[in-house]
Amino acid sequence: MSEDKKTYEGSEGRDSRESSANLIGKPYFRRKKSCPFTGPKAPAIDYKDTRTLNRFVSPYGKMLPSHITGVSNKKQRELAIAIKRARHLALMPYTAR
Amino acid sequence: MAFYELVYIVRPDVSSTQTEATAKKFEEVITSKGGKIIKTEQWGLKTLAYRVNKHRKGYYTMIGFEGNGEAVAEAERQMRISDDVIRFLTVNVEELTKAPSIQMAPRRRGSDETTDAPAKTKRPMANTANA
Repeated sequence: MSEDKKTYEGSEGRDSRESSANLIGKPYFRRKKSCPFTGPKAPAIDYKDTRTLNRFVSPYGKMLPSHITGVSNKKQRELAIAIKRARHLALMPYTAR
Repeated sequence: MAFYELVYIVRPDVSSTQTEATAKKFEEVITSKGGKIIKTEQWGLKTLAYRVNKHRKGYYTMIGFEGNGEAVAEAERQMRISDDVIRFLTVNVEELTKAPSIQMAPRRRGSDETTDAPAKTKRPMANTANA
């Protein structure tokens, strides 16, 4: 019965882990299907472009997992490197209260 | 010869004229080692996201240049010695244009970059215009 594998991506029941209170403010349950970085008009991942990077960081400054933001694996790795560089240059905080 | 972006932060209690002087100094160091400066950008006085060496603000400068490892090593060695520079980062990039980087864009650029989420989500706060 391999159907359940295919429905894994769309299943609602998997959100129990993200029910903690501090996740409410951010659009944590956004069901993003397509990766915002692939496609013709996608922005380049750049450690200087803090406006775009901030969309993939939680209110506490932590990186959001790709299964929430819908970023593809390859772009998520590039995104992680860019965020770490921005943090090193104090363009982005390591932790934001 | 590879393209490098060298971003460094100078402590705020240095006069802004002196930041140009330090920028010139590092450019000479790079050109003396066979590097070719493509662009130099002064991002100006910015507040840091967290305190670095007790400073809360700093002058950001970016030097985009084409060169080999020696130019990078020498520039970084100078920066470690100089007590004005509180942080620096050299990044190897594929290509480097003369166009000003994102940081140089005017602050209120509005939302001209049309990169909002393509997938229309049913959540009430689905507008992803970056605040």
